[in-house]
Amino acid sequence: MAATKLLTRLAMGIPVLLMVTAPAAGQRPPLYTRWENFTVQNGMPDEKVFCAAADGDRVWAGTENGFVLIENGRVARVYQPKDGLVNRVVMSIAVDPRTGDLWIGTFGGLSRFSGGQFKNYTNLTSGLLNDVIYGVAMQDQFVWVATTAGVSRLNTDTGEWTNWSEYNAPFHEPWAYGVAPAPNQQKVYAAVWGGGLCEYDLERKVWRPHTDPDEEMEMVLFRNQGLIHIIVSNVAYDPSAQMVWASTYFGLSGYDGRDWHNYLTKDSGLASDFINAPKARRGEVWACTDKGLSYLNYKTNTWVTYRPSKQGGQGEIEVTWPEGKKSKFHTATSLAHNYILNMDFQGEDVWVATARGLSHGIRELQKEALLYAAKQTGQRHGHSYCALAQADREKSH
Amino acid sequence: MIVAEVIRSTSPLAAVSAAQTVTAAEPDYLSPVEIKFAPDGRRLYIVCEGTDSLLALDPATRRVVARARVGNRPKDVAISPDGKTLYVSNEWSDTVSEIAAASFELRRTLKTGWGPVGLVTDRAGTTLFVANSIGNNVSVIDLRSGKETKRLMTERCPHYVALSRDGKHVYVSNLLPHLGPYDEPPVSELLAINADSQTVAERVFIPGVIELRRIAEAPASIGSYLLVPFMRPKNLGPLIRVGQGWVVTHGMAILRPARAADTRTTVSQVLLDDIDRYYAGTCGAAFTPSGQFALVTASEANSVAIINTARLAARLRQVPAEELPNRLDSAGAFVVRRLPTGHDPRSVVVSPEGRFAYIANRLDDTLTVINLSELKVADTVDLGGPTQITQLRRGQRLFHDARYCFQGQFACSTCHPNEHVDGLAWNLETPQLGRDRVDNRTLRGIKDTAPFKWSGRNPDLQTQCGPRIAKFLFRSEGFNPQELEDLVAYINSIPLPPNRHLAPNGELTDAQERGKRIFFREATNDGREIPFNNRCYVCHPPDSHYAMLAGADVGAANKYDTIKAFDVPQLDRVYESAPYLHNGEALGLEEIWTIFNNADTHGVTSDMRKEQLNDLIEFLKTL
Repeated sequence: MAATKLLTRLAMGIPVLLMVTAPAAGQRPPLYTRWENFTVQNGMPDEKVFCAAADGDRVWAGTENGFVLIENGRVARVYQPKDGLVNRVVMSIAVDPRTGDLWIGTFGGLSRFSGGQFKNYTNLTSGLLNDVIYGVAMQDQFVWVATTAGVSRLNTDTGEWTNWSEYNAPFHEPWAYGVAPAPNQQKVYAAVWGGGLCEYDLERKVWRPHTDPDEEMEMVLFRNQGLIHIIVSNVAYDPSAQMVWASTYFGLSGYDGRDWHNYLTKDSGLASDFINAPKARRGEVWACTDKGLSYLNYKTNTWVTYRPSKQGGQGEIEVTWPEGKKSKFHTATSLAHNYILNMDFQGEDVWVATARGLSHGIRELQKEALLYAAKQTGQRHGHSYCALAQADREKSH
Repeated sequence: MIVAEVIRSTSPLAAVSAAQTVTAAEPDYLSPVEIKFAPDGRRLYIVCEGTDSLLALDPATRRVVARARVGNRPKDVAISPDGKTLYVSNEWSDTVSEIAAASFELRRTLKTGWGPVGLVTDRAGTTLFVANSIGNNVSVIDLRSGKETKRLMTERCPHYVALSRDGKHVYVSNLLPHLGPYDEPPVSELLAINADSQTVAERVFIPGVIELRRIAEAPASIGSYLLVPFMRPKNLGPLIRVGQGWVVTHGMAILRPARAADTRTTVSQVLLDDIDRYYAGTCGAAFTPSGQFALVTASEANSVAIINTARLAARLRQVPAEELPNRLDSAGAFVVRRLPTGHDPRSVVVSPEGRFAYIANRLDDTLTVINLSELKVADTVDLGGPTQITQLRRGQRLFHDARYCFQGQFACSTCHPNEHVDGLAWNLETPQLGRDRVDNRTLRGIKDTAPFKWSGRNPDLQTQCGPRIAKFLFRSEGFNPQELEDLVAYINSIPLPPNRHLAPNGELTDAQERGKRIFFREATNDGREIPFNNRCYVCHPPDSHYAMLAGADVGAANKYDTIKAFDVPQLDRVYESAPYLHNGEALGLEEIWTIFNNADTHGVTSDMRKEQLNDLIEFLKTL
């Protein structure tokens, strides 16, 4: 009774949110209701964060001025060229789970960070194809490097470098922006800006390009008949679903080896067609766009987009249900910025690289349940939600 | 006929020819390199690289009681925690032999990376860590399946491996330093591996030293620090200073491993030399069980130093750490005895009860036994090697003996460990001090590659190792004529190791084939003819070790060089002998062309794509 009175008082003046009929619990997408941000105010060396890589309890994040170690909820350490890093602009970090080493792709070469020390590889001092690196990934003992002149691969057991460019691979353009191994397919995928999605068969040692079938830059004529666009900005692989996802500047493409699944903002919950990177696991894909972070459970066709709300300080969650209807929630905290560059998973949490900081998304099951409950029962529980939101705001202040 | 013989034998070249004509087969010297005690102390296992064998010695009777044949060039033995299984690394077979300790029978042969040397099991006996000296990595082998599960990258030439007493870390020391700027002091590395997760825990940099050797851990009672022998070269100063001493010094690193997160291992360095006498080739290390003494062998001084650890600790406290590496007055404070050993003492171990120390004398086929109560040599154990000492064996001993150098500062092997390179550029004898810095070259497979020296001025090894060494390097009398012949014969006999980049059947990979075409090309990518004298195969013809046995100006001279043409180096196993160019400025093969060939004077490479350069390098690795 007392709680009901409290909730009623708190409900005054707080906006009532949209309510639609929510699907069954099993079809509800996970919601990230709390965000903790790392910005230049609390230790980040630069506001632009290009990548994040989870490493057990730790997280590494690359920025325009070095990379950081996040540990115990804070920026524990910053690494820059003065510490031995090859270049300050860190575009990609890959953790080698076998050795514990980090491989760091920068705009000035490749660094290996191992045992507290750096060892650097550039195209003058090693077999690396080019120093401008956008993506790094591990596949057993191989380090795959997406560079602006093609794809390089280092065999750490033998020291041999292998390079692919437009001269010896079907790269229409050489700019490789991302690389993703698909171990259970014995393949490696490369995102080639202007060259499409390229697939390397590890057994047959051949490349196969996937390009836009309609060859139209600005239109999608043959939906779901191929890659949505040739300007591929990055790539991710979901081993559980055996799906590869390609982000482009003109939509999102998924390929299961037989069928393509393409998404545009005009008819989906995708925040923007301009996507910097995808990330995928467990039948889900995340799209890092210039207008927010979008999640898709592609089996249920349920979308969730996260973005900072226009009302300062708050975060916005927009769920797009399979039938097209939308739900909106507000959270007291939000992503650091709507321009999302990349992300990674750490258990159930997510770490998101944005143009204004690194955001740690935390899934709070209790709050999530309350949100869904509020949606289900309408106004009354909408008040409950509002109380929750108010409590969150008070806590964050 | 007799007159002709006399004439032939007095000519330097004839002496070489005569020395090379070895009509009798070389005896099978055991060449013991490593010894380890069984956990119960009842057996001493001895690795004999000369006979590809493992011996078991009963320390009570000091007799060999078992032998096992292992792979090619064995280097080390690891013992399972229960003492029942022995693992022997075979450097030239790229394998480990697993031997049953009781029966001394071979159980399995495990595959490793390239050039396995030091090895150790974890505390559970389920994982084997093997340092691969050619592959520059550590193989992690699951002993249950016998399969390698991963490799951890190391710096150059990882050699010695040890498990910490608490079983938490595996330490790996590197023989060669980091590749770095040729005009800066060297930096070496000790790798710490987390034995549980089998991942890299820490890379400890040790500045100013090379040739990190065996790793000994002090007992917990005196702090559980690590002791690692090393050599400190003053390679940047002109070598004429040998006559004043202090150019090549020998000592040990004292490392206190990081104990807490966010901390790093601390390093101190202290010398074992005296001001007027040096003890080159610091190599083996061991502590007595009580921790009272540490023993460090000097393989090129044929001696062992016995160190009072309490006095050592006091010295480390008294002198600032930044000063200590260059203080030649330290040894007197803590070395309580120096005892003579046989030739080339390598490994030293202490019996579990602490009564005796045993030292393997590689070039004597003996063990020196030290009585640790009296600090005296108690015995010399003959392991049963051949009694005849041949010319090659004599030459090998000379190669590893520092007494021919002023104050015993260094031997040939000091700068040519394993008859190879030390990874440094040296400021040798030049008319103009500080100029003409030169990269250290390998001695493997150099027979028939005269002339010698980067200037090509030495027509044969007799000149190279005779008056030149005496006058400019050793600053002493040098070798007498017979000794010189023996030494030259030995150097000429040093073989090349197996080439790991070439398939056993000689078949080239696609990249190597493409590289071979580039090596032999006569036109650029766009069809322009490459001038004859600028084609790879002209200066590096395949029928003479890929060296034209003369000098060439490839535009590599810099402002410190007084000459422009340099002896063309042979390319056999070139992948092992970084850095490159006459002064070691090119740290990798790539840099020869990416940084130091802007004018296409060292072959035409400016038209090549990066993939083509990589292919060329892959081919060069097959030579």
